[in-house]
Amino acid sequence: MNKTRTNALLVLAVAVLGSSAALAQSGSNRVDELRDRLAWLDAETTRVEDIIAIQRLQRAFGYYLDKGYFGEAAALFADDGQVQYGVDGVYIGQNRIQELFTRHGGGSTNAGPGLPFGRFNMHMQLQPMITVADDGESAQGRWRDWAMLGNYQQAIEWGDAVLENDYVKADGVWKISQMRYYTNFVAPYEGGWAKLENVRGDWATQVSAEFPPDEASPVRYQPFPSLFVPPFHYDNDLTAIQSTVPLPTQARPDDALGRLEAMADAQAHKLARASSLRAIENLQAMYGYYVDKGLWEDAASLFTDDGTWESGRSGVYIGRDSIERGLSLMGPEGLEYGQLNNYPMLQPIITVAEDNMTAKGRWRSDVMLARDGEGQWGGGVYENEYVNDDGTWKISKQLYYVVFWADYDIGFSARGAIPMDPPSTTNPPDAPSTVDYESLPNIYIIPFHFDHPVTGEPHSYLDGGDEYE
Amino acid sequence: MNKPNLLKHVTVAALVACAAPVALAQTDAELKSLENELMALADRIERLEDVAEVENLQRAYGYYVDKSLWYDLADLWTDEGTLEIGGRGVFLGRHRVFEYMSVGLGAPGPKPGMLYDHQQFQPIVTINPDGKTAEARAIAFVTSGGGWGHNYYENDYVKEDGVWKMQSLHGPFNMYSGYDIGWLDNTTLNTFPEKFDPPPDLPPTVIYLTYPNYYVEPFHYPNPVTGEPMPAPDPAAGGEAFGRYQE
Repeated sequence: MNKTRTNALLVLAVAVLGSSAALAQSGSNRVDELRDRLAWLDAETTRVEDIIAIQRLQRAFGYYLDKGYFGEAAALFADDGQVQYGVDGVYIGQNRIQELFTRHGGGSTNAGPGLPFGRFNMHMQLQPMITVADDGESAQGRWRDWAMLGNYQQAIEWGDAVLENDYVKADGVWKISQMRYYTNFVAPYEGGWAKLENVRGDWATQVSAEFPPDEASPVRYQPFPSLFVPPFHYDNDLTAIQSTVPLPTQARPDDALGRLEAMADAQAHKLARASSLRAIENLQAMYGYYVDKGLWEDAASLFTDDGTWESGRSGVYIGRDSIERGLSLMGPEGLEYGQLNNYPMLQPIITVAEDNMTAKGRWRSDVMLARDGEGQWGGGVYENEYVNDDGTWKISKQLYYVVFWADYDIGFSARGAIPMDPPSTTNPPDAPSTVDYESLPNIYIIPFHFDHPVTGEPHSYLDGGDEYE
Repeated sequence: MNKPNLLKHVTVAALVACAAPVALAQTDAELKSLENELMALADRIERLEDVAEVENLQRAYGYYVDKSLWYDLADLWTDEGTLEIGGRGVFLGRHRVFEYMSVGLGAPGPKPGMLYDHQQFQPIVTINPDGKTAEARAIAFVTSGGGWGHNYYENDYVKEDGVWKMQSLHGPFNMYSGYDIGWLDNTTLNTFPEKFDPPPDLPPTVIYLTYPNYYVEPFHYPNPVTGEPMPAPDPAAGGEAFGRYQE
């Protein structure tokens, strides 16, 4: 637990409890308390703003790589910023970083932004898990870089990487101070990742041979189909999934200061919910990064004591031990050589309850699997529930609706569709499935937990009345 | 999700209260400065909500396309909001958005055996200083029975009565391909108004060809570190730059 934030929360709680006896206090004490409270609100607002700013920064990086804006991408780094690229080594400074990404992206080192005809360099920046340091001056983030690469009529590839980045705030502006770009694979489109051969010995890129790094790589690992877990920045630090617990509602004195105090109460509550939304975004991202690597115990640790987990037709697994069993249906702890288990956490719509004690979230995964040399796509939607457990958000219910499983070699037509697995008999669930549906070629409309964001009414689904006749 | 903007009322009440004589030890000036601080904070906290609400609006759009939920989809728009996807021209108003979908892509509701997943990724949301309008760049990554699609959005949103709505969805295609060989060859270069029903209200705002050609949709936001606007692409980089940059 992060001590500074805990202390800040305690200070706030004490201040507020103290002021509940406000009538017994002098006005100046109340003013001091309100002033302290505003300082705390300012710091906490800044922390949530920082998370959003860092997401923006990293997403901008992806958009620049996509379209050959390599100079703009390099300008997102601090002057002494670094990129540690796969096992190639470390490139230091904006000029070197610009040339590194220009070379990897197939751009021109003698021209401004752009890409040649036929060059594809998509780098989608997904699944942010952002931790802002206590002092608000630095931060760390884990991201998934899902790349679509290649040259028209020559060769095209999928790319899969995890980024563990450090960020620094200077003069109010966030910059990337260090990017650790952990390539998991670059796989030919034909055959995909499942057909990749083991890489023996040195697998430094051709770019690093022609454009040597400034420093040797501090990491050695083998890419997929070998197994490598890029180090997590957040080990036991749970600040990124914490928010405040609502304080008891209290009557404020009916005077000018009391009205300001009441306003501060209302803003603190609103802020707590905004902070919770980002905490839950982080929580589900953490879960996804663990599941990717078969870290079932870590993934299960993010659930409440009586949390439930259900995937497709698996049935329901209840409680952390049981959830770990359910997760292990996907493979042994830590996975086996040649297993790919990418379950990215995408497209969240998170709804925090008015009291900030519970929340719901819709997500989707676009799953990449490999088992026994065969590749599979998967797609599905989560409708999950969360609980604010004394300031730390936990998953209380995970329900993954499988939309499709598809053979990599055939694709997303009904012909390539693979049915869901039935419930396991060797590791049976604690309760039967809660929903009855079939995946592709059947189509099932997964209910939304939220009302329509514009009308504020339940969704129309297929019954639109006469509005659009 | 629709919350009336109570904050404004609270603020007015506080302003009125502050004008009254204060019996306590603090001075009017002290209270005024605290109130200003609170109002500035309230604005910032409102922005945090605004960003999340615009993100959610865009993501909801994707979930609706997945299942051809055209009623819910059209309901995201303002009455006069516009839609422009690929090269098919501009459709004016919420009802034409509905028509674009239900005529162009089929009646509401999913079709057995057909997948149309429209995943919404990587939003960069900018809430304008007025707090009433916003812009976003985002990606649609399409996995469908027909293959792959990747397009960008540069959309406008407006807050009406405290609720964010779609004002303009502008979604230029980036790459559309079949599944078997992916984007290696035979990509769809773009769509055109005369090739599809229904016809648009206005011609396309930009003419361009998609991958393997090079087109970059202008960025609504400056570089987040330098604060400088994005330069136009350099033809010397090798690609053909179509559309707005070729005036």
